[in-house]
Amino acid sequence: MDVKITWNWLADYVDLDGLTPQQVAMDLTHAGIPVEWMEPFAYPVERVVVGEVLSADPHPNANRLRVCRVTVGTEAPVTIVCGAANVAAGQRVPVALEGARLPDLTIGRSTLRGVESQGMICSAQELGLPVRSLAKEQTDGIFVLPGDAPLGLSIADYLGLGDMVMELELTPNRSDCLSLRGVAYEVGAIYGRTVRMPSADTGWVQPASGMARSDGNDAVAAKETAPGEPGEHGEHGEHDAGAGPASELPLTATVDTPLCPLYSVQAVTGVALGPAPIWMQMRLLAVGMRPISNLVDITNYVMLEWGQPLHAFDYDVIAHHHIVVRQAEVAEGLETLDGQVRQLSPSMIVIADPEKALGLGGVMGGRNSEVTHTTRSVVIESALFDPIVTRRTGKALQLRSEAGLRFEKGTDPDAVGPALARAVALIQLYAGGRVASPAVVKRPPLATTSDGALSGMSSAASATGSLDADLHQRPAVICLDAPRVSAFLGCDYAIDELVDVCRRLQFPVQREGQRLSVEIPARRPDITREEDMIEEFARLLSYDRIPATEMHGPLTPGRLTPEQALRRRLRTHLVSVGLTEVWTYSLVPGFVVTRTGLPADHALAQMGELQNPLSEDRRFLRSSMLFALLDVAQYNSHRRIRDIRVFEIGTVFSPRALPMTEQPTERQVLALFLAGQAMAESPHGKPRALDFFDAKGIVEHLLALLGLRARAVFLPADEPYLHAGQSARILIDGREVGVVGQLRQSVAREYGIGAGFYAELCLASLAASAEVGLTVAELPKFPGVARDLAFVAPRSLAAADLVANVRAAGGTELQAVTIFDVYTGDHVGSDAKSLALRLTFQAQDRTLTDDEVSDYVNRILASAARLGAAIRH
Amino acid sequence: MIEQLQALRTRALARLEALETSGDPGALEAWRVEFLGKKGELSSALRLMGSLSAEERPVVGQVVNEVREELESAFAQHKAQAEAQALRAREAGDAVDVTLPGRTPFLGAEHPLQKVIRRIEDIFLGLGFAIEEGPEVELDYYNFELMNFPKDHPARDMQDTFFVTEDLVLRTHTSPVQARTMEKMQPQVPVRIIAPGKTYRRDDDDATHSHAFAQVEGLVIDRGVRMSDLKGTLLTFARQLYGADQEVRLRPSFFPFTEPSAELDVRCIYCGGAGCATCKQTGWIEILGCGMVHPRVLELGGYDPHEVSGFAFGMGVERVAMLLYGVTDIRQFYLNDLRLLEQFSGLAH
Repeated sequence: MDVKITWNWLADYVDLDGLTPQQVAMDLTHAGIPVEWMEPFAYPVERVVVGEVLSADPHPNANRLRVCRVTVGTEAPVTIVCGAANVAAGQRVPVALEGARLPDLTIGRSTLRGVESQGMICSAQELGLPVRSLAKEQTDGIFVLPGDAPLGLSIADYLGLGDMVMELELTPNRSDCLSLRGVAYEVGAIYGRTVRMPSADTGWVQPASGMARSDGNDAVAAKETAPGEPGEHGEHGEHDAGAGPASELPLTATVDTPLCPLYSVQAVTGVALGPAPIWMQMRLLAVGMRPISNLVDITNYVMLEWGQPLHAFDYDVIAHHHIVVRQAEVAEGLETLDGQVRQLSPSMIVIADPEKALGLGGVMGGRNSEVTHTTRSVVIESALFDPIVTRRTGKALQLRSEAGLRFEKGTDPDAVGPALARAVALIQLYAGGRVASPAVVKRPPLATTSDGALSGMSSAASATGSLDADLHQRPAVICLDAPRVSAFLGCDYAIDELVDVCRRLQFPVQREGQRLSVEIPARRPDITREEDMIEEFARLLSYDRIPATEMHGPLTPGRLTPEQALRRRLRTHLVSVGLTEVWTYSLVPGFVVTRTGLPADHALAQMGELQNPLSEDRRFLRSSMLFALLDVAQYNSHRRIRDIRVFEIGTVFSPRALPMTEQPTERQVLALFLAGQAMAESPHGKPRALDFFDAKGIVEHLLALLGLRARAVFLPADEPYLHAGQSARILIDGREVGVVGQLRQSVAREYGIGAGFYAELCLASLAASAEVGLTVAELPKFPGVARDLAFVAPRSLAAADLVANVRAAGGTELQAVTIFDVYTGDHVGSDAKSLALRLTFQAQDRTLTDDEVSDYVNRILASAARLGAAIRH
Repeated sequence: MIEQLQALRTRALARLEALETSGDPGALEAWRVEFLGKKGELSSALRLMGSLSAEERPVVGQVVNEVREELESAFAQHKAQAEAQALRAREAGDAVDVTLPGRTPFLGAEHPLQKVIRRIEDIFLGLGFAIEEGPEVELDYYNFELMNFPKDHPARDMQDTFFVTEDLVLRTHTSPVQARTMEKMQPQVPVRIIAPGKTYRRDDDDATHSHAFAQVEGLVIDRGVRMSDLKGTLLTFARQLYGADQEVRLRPSFFPFTEPSAELDVRCIYCGGAGCATCKQTGWIEILGCGMVHPRVLELGGYDPHEVSGFAFGMGVERVAMLLYGVTDIRQFYLNDLRLLEQFSGLAH
């Protein structure tokens, strides 16, 4: 939430004497209103002054040039050759004299086609104004000034070019600072200075600082005809036009919806549409708003000043001069100011007359009531609209406006009246109007619900502004104990300091012993609880005052859960055995399913979908880490990195049903991907390409780390993305915990990578199975006997099955069986393989004899024969 | 007789000394045979013992033994030296170029973001914090409602949200773990936890934004927790992470779930506070958001704000990593370019 202000503008409301923009920017930032940047409105041009074109004659030697005689009020007129088509005698114009410094050039004396030019008449562009925000007639050719621009005055002063613009980055709770008034109160609170807002009493004309004006007399006139402020709402009654003295035009209103808790309008007649005063245009430009016309600029100016959005209608299109504020009818249409025909819904607020809609409350006016050059009388509206409804309407119709922005954050009920009065006064000053009705102030009928509460705006409306509370329970009073403030912040404050903060904030405060009662004005809807007020104390007395202390209370052990500890061990282990950890996105595109060859009914193809993805690439919640690791492999192999050994511990999502209606199951899995050589390259031997057993070996090593290797079983897997002959499911105690295998060639090719190996393990399953207790086995007292047996077995016989068979047959003295050689080839026949096993026999109570061992071996051979495995000769 | 033995000793040792440089093992053996052998000079001397008187015999016998021991010891010493020399000579023949690289197993690297999370975790584990976790697909109720973001609250605009359903979001911060922890723990105190994890916001990816990023959340609830405790705890944290001479400062800010709220700045780790481009000449850099737990959040979490108070903080892991390692584009963390990751090789840094 950003807003721009200018230094000189701010100075209209709060005394900035003795302060610099730099100091104020720093102090605002330190108080929680960060000033993002600060820079002069425009380049501070030198030796450019207001001049008057006395004559503009054709150039004797050039069709498109004119020779102008220009006076700057002193000395003799100067001659300037000007190429602009719009230059004409009688105009007041910015004149760059000899030696003038403009943003892009310095002016010297020059001769153009034989005529000497003693300066330049400047365009808006040459002056460094933000031309994109100016009207075409202000940017085509020279920048023509108002006829009352004082001759000889420096343009930098006249246009306020050196004024400092600050952009504030507001936190969402500080929407009060979406106005100069709010910022002025904040600055006032920091320095203990009083805020003066313009009113009938103080005079309506504000820009006293820096900017030259010529409307001093108008101020007096305006003061005489200034309207009375609309009645203070709350305990005051409502008003319709016709009762007051200035009721030249009849005007009435009714509010038929609780979504508009306060509505006020006033008619002004005799208006003439034209440009706003130049100082107002320049201020609007400086804060990034486009000057449009006196009426529009005045409503914008007052909005920026008070934070209260205003709207102007053409009085004469209002049937029966009666305004109705209501909710839209079903399928009601309205052409808005931007020329679009909008389809409204009953949740939207409509400003209407008895016959037709005139605008969307708080969002945008209607085309039919737009103020134009033929408008004679206008109605100015100042109202409160439900923040949530305004926000929803704006979103539904995709209409974002400065007014909507303010309404949806909640506006100040106390600003509704003063802002209307201010706008009406400025219209009289700068649009030639006169007050034609008193302010008409209306509120919805008070509907009471069964529990007696007011059914005002939607209850959530109080989220930002607590509008209900503001309107019906004001003033909000917060009571605090000074010692509690100190105890909560851990810093000692004297009660006088706290009282002083309230005074600086201009919050009325009462003190009773150590107890304070602080009245919170409606302009600060963010302060609703004791802690909010404590924050005001803390920040305005500076957070730097708060010391750094140590927590007290009982000691608590810092601890990791078993699964957290497991993840840490695995990370460290895998890094140590040469895998690099990656970090990938959980959101994946839908096409990963087909890319990895998953059939539509595969469990991994069932992925949860976002309602509002940023792009197709980030639409689904990944069901597997496979997709991400393949992307990593692809990325790196495209960069000619051959050895890719990566892992990630991350979350995968399994929806309980599709489309998702509840939280998916989230599982932490460890996934790894390997490609390239089995060993790092060295001068000591030829490296070998990775194969399935490298990948499986890493998995077994990791299981061994967790004490799970002996309980793990690997069975052939059948995954659509893995090699049918070189992939395995991993089971622990019969429960599947993961998979390991070579990537199917078609998938590898799809990702542009060579042979790759993938493994995925479910961490929760590992953590659940992980060995906890250990009892040390007694060391053997008698020597063991080893026997090596080479079997020839059918090729289809799984080694694990032969080992299991041997173990079962071997008896209790068979301590260990290891496979030390595998051979397939000519010597054993094409459908057979040789498996060499080393058997270790050992007894606890004696040294085994050769005969005993031979007996065991014979039993084993007999048993193995049943699997078709025979001793190899 | 004794004089003869002494002369024999002197001669034998002198001969041995002379052998030393020759390095010929045969010469050493010949020496042994000549002086210590069965037919050697010492044995010959011994044979003359019989001709001595009973009084002289023990005296001379003692001298003979002394000389023998001395010569044997000298011989053993010289033999060991000679053998060692020979071994060294053989080894010189087998010399390798020790400057050639060894057969090193591959060494992996910890991802910088995980490294940073581990460092942050370790600091808080040391301060007595437990580590809590929560789901990434989170209920609106925990992500927003319990954290004091009512529906349609403008503060929700601070966090552009990915929706799965109307009530189910990708968590926009790790703060819902606060709510879940309170739900689980209430009304027990003290609560001291941190919660690291992935979070999501609907931001377009660029050099400083990512739709997915990591946070570490912290929450403390106890009787009498003060804002100064927040500052003290985070000062300790900052000093462990960024150096013992670090300073911190709090700046007012806003989060719906804390009041008062603050941003925590540390002295710029690049310029030490003198002012540079990274700290925009302020001498400070923002590292995290924090504040006192909002009374409404305590109430929603089942705690009585009149009985207990607390503080909470949340930091962006990527930001910490960018500052620590000088990474200027956040996307570098998710690119998984091995040439970058391998710079974090091993378990150092």
